[in-house]
Amino acid sequence: MAFTPATACCNPSLPLAPRASSRGPATRAQALLCTPSTSAFHGLRAPAAPAPRWRRAAASTGIVCGKVTKGSVPPNFTLKDQNGKPVSLNKFKGKPVVVYFYPADETPGCTKQACAFRDSYEKFKKAGAEVIGISGDDTASHKAFAQKYRLPFTLLADEGNRVRKEWGVPGDLFGTLPGRQTYVLDKQGVVQYIYNNQFQPEKHIGETLKILQSL
Amino acid sequence: MYTLTPRCHLPPLRRSPPPCQVASTTTTTSPAPVPVPSSLSAVPPRADPDELRSTWPQRAWTLAGTAAILSSLSTSASLVAAGSGGSPAEPLAAALAAYSLADLATGVYHWFVDNYGDADTPVFGLQIAAFQGHHRYPSTITRREPCNNLHALARAAALALAPTDAALSAAGCPAAAHAFVGAFAACVVLSQQFHAWAHEKRRRLPPGVEALQGAGVLVSRAMHAAHHRQPYNTNYCIVSGMWNGVLDRYRVFEALEMVVYFRTGIRPRSWDETDASWTEVTGAEHAAAGDDGLLQTASINSSD
Repeated sequence: MAFTPATACCNPSLPLAPRASSRGPATRAQALLCTPSTSAFHGLRAPAAPAPRWRRAAASTGIVCGKVTKGSVPPNFTLKDQNGKPVSLNKFKGKPVVVYFYPADETPGCTKQACAFRDSYEKFKKAGAEVIGISGDDTASHKAFAQKYRLPFTLLADEGNRVRKEWGVPGDLFGTLPGRQTYVLDKQGVVQYIYNNQFQPEKHIGETLKILQSL
Repeated sequence: MYTLTPRCHLPPLRRSPPPCQVASTTTTTSPAPVPVPSSLSAVPPRADPDELRSTWPQRAWTLAGTAAILSSLSTSASLVAAGSGGSPAEPLAAALAAYSLADLATGVYHWFVDNYGDADTPVFGLQIAAFQGHHRYPSTITRREPCNNLHALARAAALALAPTDAALSAAGCPAAAHAFVGAFAACVVLSQQFHAWAHEKRRRLPPGVEALQGAGVLVSRAMHAAHHRQPYNTNYCIVSGMWNGVLDRYRVFEALEMVVYFRTGIRPRSWDETDASWTEVTGAEHAAAGDDGLLQTASINSSD
């Protein structure tokens, strides 16, 4: 599906700390849409890549092997959202839910994916669905990420990647990268579709919308 | 009757007239100063014209590198002529493979220095600073004299190729091995010349170069110009550019960047808004800054 940039992405809304590597603070904001920019968390060691029980190296496929599979009911979880509020998956029973696991905030692919979900959010609302993004970043990182790109949906902090491991989200590149996998749950909370694609993040939106329209 | 102006007193050659200044709503009698970033010490100024000329040490290293390459290639040729190196097809194939691999190697190295480290990084600091200066002033490379442009790579070739070639000879390796290392070194050294041609105006290119660029034998000006556009994360290869399509289409460098990030927490420069010290200086900034670029330049082309 075509990625539609939005003007909400024009300038970072937060003052951002300089990179830990070398440079001073950026002196001019750029009207680049959905381009990841200096994060306040530069130099922070990213969470270690998970070691899911079902290890898989494929980067782009709809086929899955993992603990949560099509037709199964995934285990409930309670994680904190970007505002620090605990959110449980069970809360969304009665409506379709799109749960997308992504590697990390403020990385190019994840930013494209988040902005693509944002730009199509009306279509998800029209289908009665909720969108939830999950990564190993903490709530502060999610808050900054959501504010910067005006993300209207929930981001959950899966610190320690506990839920990612429970659901069996496969890693990429022999486990060096956290996987990018999206689950579509129906109103009964049963997984109806799983899509995995690390390096074409915008495709997750089109694929999941297609399924939602048939639920 | 006529006085000759020393070259160092001449203004730098302007490739194009500076664009008109944007009209300002405030009336000032002098041009408004260019906003100075707080990291001024990290911002490479425009190179002094004197620093673009070749020095004798630079010529010497270029000669040494050339000699090492020619020696390697002639060893290969003499092995073939002597009948002990197999058929000429093997060294030719090896040279072609080296030409291809050199393109990939320049891409990987270019990606690394463009994205990680800074002028203080051990071993690579000078190179990183040079690439930073190049991103600020891309056209400066076209005004460097040849040995000034190539001497650093030629020095690496002289220091690395000579012992490698000697080791290959000692091991009794066939002509193809000598042809491979010689051609690889030649392509890497000449990549900086190909790079300069990729920045040059068409009418100033030597005869035949434009055709080679058009045929994809040398990296084209259009392909390399794409690298100099935000966010500076594509088209890193600078020999022929043959690997750029594959590397960019399959996001190979993005994958490497993600792996480095998750292993070390270090973000590549291309993920962030381009720092002022890496952003290309436009004509307006040139005009506002005048010809004050007479400061020390962090450059790999400083003479030894």
